[in-house]
Amino acid sequence: MAVVMDSIRAESVVKRFGEVTALDGVDVEVAPGELFFLLGASGCGKTTLLRCIAGLEQPTSGGIFFGENEVTGLPPHKREAAMVFQSYALWPHLTVGRNVAFGLEERKVPRDEVRKRVEEALRLVHLAGMEDRGVDQLSGGQQQRVALARALVVRPRCLLLDEPLSNLDAKLRIEMRREIRRIVKEGGLTAIYVTHDQEEALAMADRMAVLNAGRIEQLGTPQEVYRSPRTSFVAGFIGETNLIKGRAVESRQGYVQAETDLGLLVGQLTDSDWMPGGGEEVVLSIRPEAWRVGGVRGGNRTTGKVLERSYLGQRIQYEVETRGGRQSVVQLNPDVVHEPGDELELGSRHEDVVVMKA
Amino acid sequence: MKRGNAVAVTTGVCLLFAFFFVYPALSVVGEAFRDKDGGFTFAFVVEVFRNPVYVEGLWNALLLGIASTFVTLLIAFPLALLSHRYDFMGRRLLGALILIPLVLPPFVGAIGVMHILSVTGSLNSLLIEMGLMDPDHRMDWLAEGRFWGIVVMNALHLYPILYMNIAASLANLDPAMEQAAENLGCPPGRRLFRVTLPLAMPGIFAGSSIVFIWSFTELGVPLVFNYSRVAPVQVFHGIKDLGGNPAPYALVAVILLISALVFILTKFLFGRSTSGAQPRPKGRDAEKKLTGLNSLGCAIIFATVFLVASIPHAGVVMLAFSENWYDSLTPIHWTIAHFQEALGDPLVVPSIENSLFYAGIATLIAVVVGLAIAWVVVRSDIRGRNVLDALVMLPLAVPGLVLAFGYLALSQEGKPLHFLIGAGGSPALLLIAAYAVRRLPYVVRAAVAGLQQSNPAMEEAARSLGAGTWRTLRRISIPLIGANVAAGAILAFAFAMLEVSDSLILAQQARHYPITKAIYTLLSTLGNGHELAAALGTWAMVFLGIAIVGATALGGKKGGLFKL
Repeated sequence: MAVVMDSIRAESVVKRFGEVTALDGVDVEVAPGELFFLLGASGCGKTTLLRCIAGLEQPTSGGIFFGENEVTGLPPHKREAAMVFQSYALWPHLTVGRNVAFGLEERKVPRDEVRKRVEEALRLVHLAGMEDRGVDQLSGGQQQRVALARALVVRPRCLLLDEPLSNLDAKLRIEMRREIRRIVKEGGLTAIYVTHDQEEALAMADRMAVLNAGRIEQLGTPQEVYRSPRTSFVAGFIGETNLIKGRAVESRQGYVQAETDLGLLVGQLTDSDWMPGGGEEVVLSIRPEAWRVGGVRGGNRTTGKVLERSYLGQRIQYEVETRGGRQSVVQLNPDVVHEPGDELELGSRHEDVVVMKA
Repeated sequence: MKRGNAVAVTTGVCLLFAFFFVYPALSVVGEAFRDKDGGFTFAFVVEVFRNPVYVEGLWNALLLGIASTFVTLLIAFPLALLSHRYDFMGRRLLGALILIPLVLPPFVGAIGVMHILSVTGSLNSLLIEMGLMDPDHRMDWLAEGRFWGIVVMNALHLYPILYMNIAASLANLDPAMEQAAENLGCPPGRRLFRVTLPLAMPGIFAGSSIVFIWSFTELGVPLVFNYSRVAPVQVFHGIKDLGGNPAPYALVAVILLISALVFILTKFLFGRSTSGAQPRPKGRDAEKKLTGLNSLGCAIIFATVFLVASIPHAGVVMLAFSENWYDSLTPIHWTIAHFQEALGDPLVVPSIENSLFYAGIATLIAVVVGLAIAWVVVRSDIRGRNVLDALVMLPLAVPGLVLAFGYLALSQEGKPLHFLIGAGGSPALLLIAAYAVRRLPYVVRAAVAGLQQSNPAMEEAARSLGAGTWRTLRRISIPLIGANVAAGAILAFAFAMLEVSDSLILAQQARHYPITKAIYTLLSTLGNGHELAAALGTWAMVFLGIAIVGATALGGKKGGLFKL
């Protein structure tokens, strides 16, 4: 299924529904062959952006480009951007085979080739030989894969996935993550994937955009977004974190020293356009796993008392009362288990702490 | 719900149904197959098919049914599709307006139409005025187009039923179903035939089968148009010599069999809901907002349908206010004398009282029984609750004519239902029973829809907080489904007031006449009978218009009430 894929570009897209602004000037470029994620809480505009790309919504202003071609005014059926719907939207009056063949029939593909390509697409999603089944007879996971095959079989210029796994149970979801990534990568497809599940995005994405209130908060690889969140929203939305307020004391070579209730802490800057002046309010993010029990040499340090403890097998999660409030602390591969009431010494490396605008 | 109660309700309903519905309907069929000595015979039915008069009557009725259904579909489907796909100016108001034609029994509308289409009627005078017709060579529209006149009357009256059925099944579609087709390269025009239509089929067939059965067995319109070569009218005239002649029985049996066949075929072959199991996801509505000329165009289409469908109503109202109306577009002189005179007519006031009484009691019964049935169907787990659900829908498949005929036959002196005839030959109980049974499906559908939408967990929550069965019912369940039930009840009441076949056949004495029979009788009075009938019809229209607008306002979701 080697096809020349296009890049997808959204240029200052604004979408208003009456009074509500769903998209507030979004710029995004997805490279050819990239698996790109739109991540955000419900109502952040991620699905609206996807539907604008599919042509199911018309942007109030701004443009959508596939490669060099502007497609903003093009009706959905002329865009060749195949979409996998959250509800799958399989047609119950057609069999599995006819559902998958639909897009090919619309493209007037010769009958022999339709049969061959449907067979091939079903094999790709591990549903070989299921052509004659009714869609009602399939399990949720199978329906999901038929929806995927139906979109893939037309060899679209890009593949759009709208929370495709949200109706599946946890185990199947993890299995399908691998499947979808395999299929997208094997086909060399450009794909945009919408989800509210940050774990899904971290596990699957080449790059991702975190949306909040119709704007892109941060764009980057999963590691960049997780390790170096640019705003406190991103830090809080992706993974768990401890957010600590403070005032900058001095900044040097990408690092900032800040006065907080926990004492003086040093952390890294992530927004290259910004350097806090002395006394400016800042927010520090320290991931629970960035706190090391027993402290680290040359890093930030503090002490606290264990309030609660959850034993989770491969890790232990502590809630620790420090002089700067509660801190969540995760100890991986724990050998010693501390009890509530125990005093702990905590430390974190400078490069594991992020300093952001307040 | 306690199992014992459920079983009791089911048993009770089945007994009532057996006695007031199955028995009368079957007795008609039985009579058609029984010879003089009580043995089984096909002779009478064969005789029906041998008698060219009856064959012609059946054939005409069948053609009327098919033609009416097609014309109805031609009106209803585009309307439903437009209102499903687009948001245009005045959509809510127009969507409610086009339901209005339901308020008038078509045979009353036919009176208005007769005055518009007669040789000296509005249409001819309009054409003459415009210079399109020679005053000396007038067209007798009714003589030329009697058949199509009835078809159009049926269609203009029945299209709201089909419209609501189709609109409901389109509204239940996941919008993503259509978007997925578009997304895969299917332009809107072809999408209609490849995706939308097949998915809407259950609604289309359900509505069409009601429309077909209704127009196939329509008695009022052919009577008013004096079209006697059609089976229901032949049955109506055959009643006079009930007792000796088995032919009307055989004819009714044939009508019933055809109706039942159509009902069963559509329900089980085509009506199978293919998307039934999946609840509609919360996806946003895909309707497109139209602007400018497109929006105006849609509004004009709706308004046109409404205006054309109101021509009979306008005719009736004009007739009721006309002092003389001859050879002109509208009456030459206007008067309100007919309304005053109608109130003085010995038929009119009692008929209004009678109808209110019959329809009121029948509605009450239908609501109590219907609620109980809906409860069993939705909330209990006893076996056979689906059978019960299907059973109460059967009255939609059995023409009013058949049931009326059965009641009439069984209430003769010495027959099992004779005790229902009150003092002085009052048909009150018979009519109430007939109205209640025939309108039960509307109440049940409304209540079932309401119960299905309300989560049983809401009732369970009340129970867990200490409310007893009755308090839960009173404080939680009934407020939750009250609007649905009220809507169903209003419709049941309105249709009971409009009921033609039962009323015409079962009410034999003037002082027991319901409104419809009073109108029919006034029509054949010499002098200003037509005007008086029109005046009474106008009253009925106003009254039912208010009822239907109320029902749709309460019913919320369009269509649910009429779904099979």
